[in-house]
Amino acid sequence: MQEELVRLAQRGDAEAFDSLARMVGDRCLAIAVRILRDIDLAEDAVQTALITAWTELRALRDPSRFEPWLHRILTNACYAEARRRRQRFEGLRIVPVAGAYGSDDYLTVDDRDLLERAFRRLTLQQRAVLVFHHYLGLSISEVATRTGLPVGTAKSRLHHATRALRASIEADTRATPPSQERLA
Amino acid sequence: MTTNRDPDRLLRAFLREGEEELHYQVYDAVRAQIERKRQRAVFGPWRTAAMNKFLPIGLGAAAVVVLLIVGARFLGTPGSPNVGGPGVEPTATPEASVTEPSPSGAADSPEGQHLLLESAESGVPITINIAAPDWEGEPGGGVLCWGDAAGRCAGPPEGAGVIAFDDGDYYVYGHACDWSNMRPDTPATTVDDLLEALSNQGSREASAPEDITVDGYAGKKIILRMDAGYLAGEYDIDDCDEGNFALFGVPGDDPARYSQGPGQIEEVWAVDVDGRIVVVIGSYYEQTPQHAVDELRAILESMKFK
Repeated sequence: MQEELVRLAQRGDAEAFDSLARMVGDRCLAIAVRILRDIDLAEDAVQTALITAWTELRALRDPSRFEPWLHRILTNACYAEARRRRQRFEGLRIVPVAGAYGSDDYLTVDDRDLLERAFRRLTLQQRAVLVFHHYLGLSISEVATRTGLPVGTAKSRLHHATRALRASIEADTRATPPSQERLA
Repeated sequence: MTTNRDPDRLLRAFLREGEEELHYQVYDAVRAQIERKRQRAVFGPWRTAAMNKFLPIGLGAAAVVVLLIVGARFLGTPGSPNVGGPGVEPTATPEASVTEPSPSGAADSPEGQHLLLESAESGVPITINIAAPDWEGEPGGGVLCWGDAAGRCAGPPEGAGVIAFDDGDYYVYGHACDWSNMRPDTPATTVDDLLEALSNQGSREASAPEDITVDGYAGKKIILRMDAGYLAGEYDIDDCDEGNFALFGVPGDDPARYSQGPGQIEEVWAVDVDGRIVVVIGSYYEQTPQHAVDELRAILESMKFK
């Protein structure tokens, strides 16, 4: 059904594209907010990405590859959004990522704080590969497609991102005594 | 944090948290925008049967005459700039180069005369002659690509393509990568100004401009290469503004032209057509087969305006 909507949208059917956007929009937001760590930036990036997708849709040769293609556009939109905001503000406004916190007891409050700080220290490009691999569960080749990287580079970036994240967590752990409070 | 627990599992648990529902206002905003925005006409099987519906009504009989031309004389040999006087006026012959559509509706051979760029009333339509297979594009859409069996089109490492602009005003960025802050306040409106701006664009190497004559109109061409660091992997196009390595913008579109991949070579042909600057760019890579580059240049040399 998604492929048929893509084909219709490629012929200029705005209604079909609207339906398509509603099928994929939530997932796009989930990706963007995890890369950008800011809901406002993420919404702007998703909006930009969907509009770009409409404009460039005829360049998509294989309608069955719409979502990976869209994610590539979304990744670039995330980078652009972060750059635009950096030019206007001294630094990204650090706010907690809003939304539903899961009841996963695996994460302590300390875990969450440490991971949040460590994640924010990563570059956007590093965050993107981590999100596509660990949140969406994609293979390295699919991560490469969505980030526009050669497979080898995607693998290398994932490796370095993981190392950077762990190093950051370990440094913070040494500096901060942990509490044992768990989220209820 | 107890770091002796599985770090991947911790990361996955962390990433599971967060917003996962797009606000309805974003969908509404997107819908409002797409109702106003045109889709960019790009690649697709070249179908001469579809050409008639893409001919603007205003072109009328003149366009039909152009389409019936066979064997129009080129104004130069492939690979060399055009020099000399006005081109020979074409003569209509009873043997049309436009083939009839096949009953099955399958894509016809691209060889023959085609409308590369369909223009608005104040613009400049461009027709071209294609003398080789494996070139495709949407008639009038302004874009042509060399699509061999692997479907590489204009992408790296060995694609080729053509893109045409008749916007008249070109805002050449001061830097190809950090372009968004380096858009000039005023556009280039002459061929000389345009070529000078392109020659000075940061993160590119430019050849010396060469004089050309296309369809009797004077112009210049220049070959632009990306900084070698992009192909060598030292720099990443993704780190450029909006992930684009950009050439210029036009009114209402920034950037209007950007590269398709590291190492892309842009051969920019700028022609003054009765005071309006038409820019047609042939793009390829170092690894693009030479015959495709030769075919691309033959296409550029075959251009006819109005």
